[in-house]
Amino acid sequence: MASSANEDVKGSTGDEGHNSETKDEEKKDDSIFECNICLDTARDAVVSLCGHLFCWPCLHQWLETRPNRQVCPVCKAAISKEKVVPLYGRGSTKQEDPREKVPPRPAGQRTEPEPGTSFPGFGFGDNSFHMSFGIGAFPFGFFTSTFNFGDPRPAAAAHGTHQHMEEQFLSKIFLWLAILFLTWLLMA
Amino acid sequence: MAGMSPSERRLQKELMSLIKEPPPGVSVDTNIAEQNLLHWVIHMEGAAGTLYEGERFQLQFKFSNKYPFDSPEVTFIGNNIPVHPHVYSNGHICLSILTDDWSPALSVQSVCLSIVSMLSSCKEKQRPPDNTFYVKTCNKNPKKTKWWYHDDSV
Repeated sequence: MASSANEDVKGSTGDEGHNSETKDEEKKDDSIFECNICLDTARDAVVSLCGHLFCWPCLHQWLETRPNRQVCPVCKAAISKEKVVPLYGRGSTKQEDPREKVPPRPAGQRTEPEPGTSFPGFGFGDNSFHMSFGIGAFPFGFFTSTFNFGDPRPAAAAHGTHQHMEEQFLSKIFLWLAILFLTWLLMA
Repeated sequence: MAGMSPSERRLQKELMSLIKEPPPGVSVDTNIAEQNLLHWVIHMEGAAGTLYEGERFQLQFKFSNKYPFDSPEVTFIGNNIPVHPHVYSNGHICLSILTDDWSPALSVQSVCLSIVSMLSSCKEKQRPPDNTFYVKTCNKNPKKTKWWYHDDSV
C-alpha cells in the first residue's frame, strides 16, 4: 500500500506536466473500481444488483454484522449473498466464485442481531425503556449516573435561567421520591 | 501502510482525502489524528446564511477497530456546543446515521456534511426538550443511548 500513497503525493504536486496528468487519469480510473467499504481497489470483486461494487470479504463482513437487516451500504437496497454477482476480469487466473472463498464465520464470533427498531421503548422488558425516559427501571438509571467514573458532572446552570429552574424542580422530585421510598421501606 | 489493520488503512485513506479536499468549513486537526488514527478532532464552521453563521465548533470522532462496520462515536466538544434541538448540552448528537442507519459506505466526510446540514436546516436555536434529564442520566458514550428518531424536519 505504500506505493499507492506515494502516487497520491506525486499526483498532487503535479511538477511533471504531462506525466502527472496521465497519473491523475490512471488514479481516476482506479477509483471507479474501489470497494465502497475499504476504499481500496476491489479484490474478489462482487457487484450488487443495485450496481455497487465491493470486495467480497468486505461485503461478507457487513452482511454478517447485521444478519437480519442486510442492505446495500451505498443505497440501502435489500441485498443478500444470492443477490450479488461475482466479477471475473480477463486477468483473473482462477475462475472461482469469490463468494465460496470466505468460509462462514464460527458461531462464537457472530454478532447478535440489533434489537428491532419498529417500536422502540414500548416494551417494559427491553432495556431501551430506561434510556429513553430514565424512569422505567430505577436501578439502572442510578448505576449509569453514579458509576460514571472519571466523568465530571456537568456544571450547575446559572441562577435565574430556565435550566436552573428545571434542575431545581427535578432535584425536588427526586428528593421526595427518595423520602417516599425510604418510608415505604420502613413501613414494609 | 504495511502492517496496518483494515480499519487503520481505511482511516488513513480518509484522512488523506480530508486533508487534500476538505468540504467547505470543515478541517481536520492533523496533529491529533496522526498521533492516534482512532481519535480525530474536526473543526467546523457554521454555514453562511444560517443561524450558526460565524460560529466555530469542534467535533470529536472515536473509532473502534471494527470501523467501518461499526459506526464512529461522534460528539461535539469544546466550549461552544451548538444550541440545536438535536444536540444535547453535553455534546451528544441525536442523528440516525450515527447508530441505526450507519453504513460502511459512509465516511467522516459524509458524517460532517450531515451534521453541517442538520445545523443549517435549524429554524430556532433551542436545546432538546429533555436536555436536563438526559445530560444528568446518560452514559458517557452516546452510542449506548437508545435514540428515538422521530423528527426528520431539522
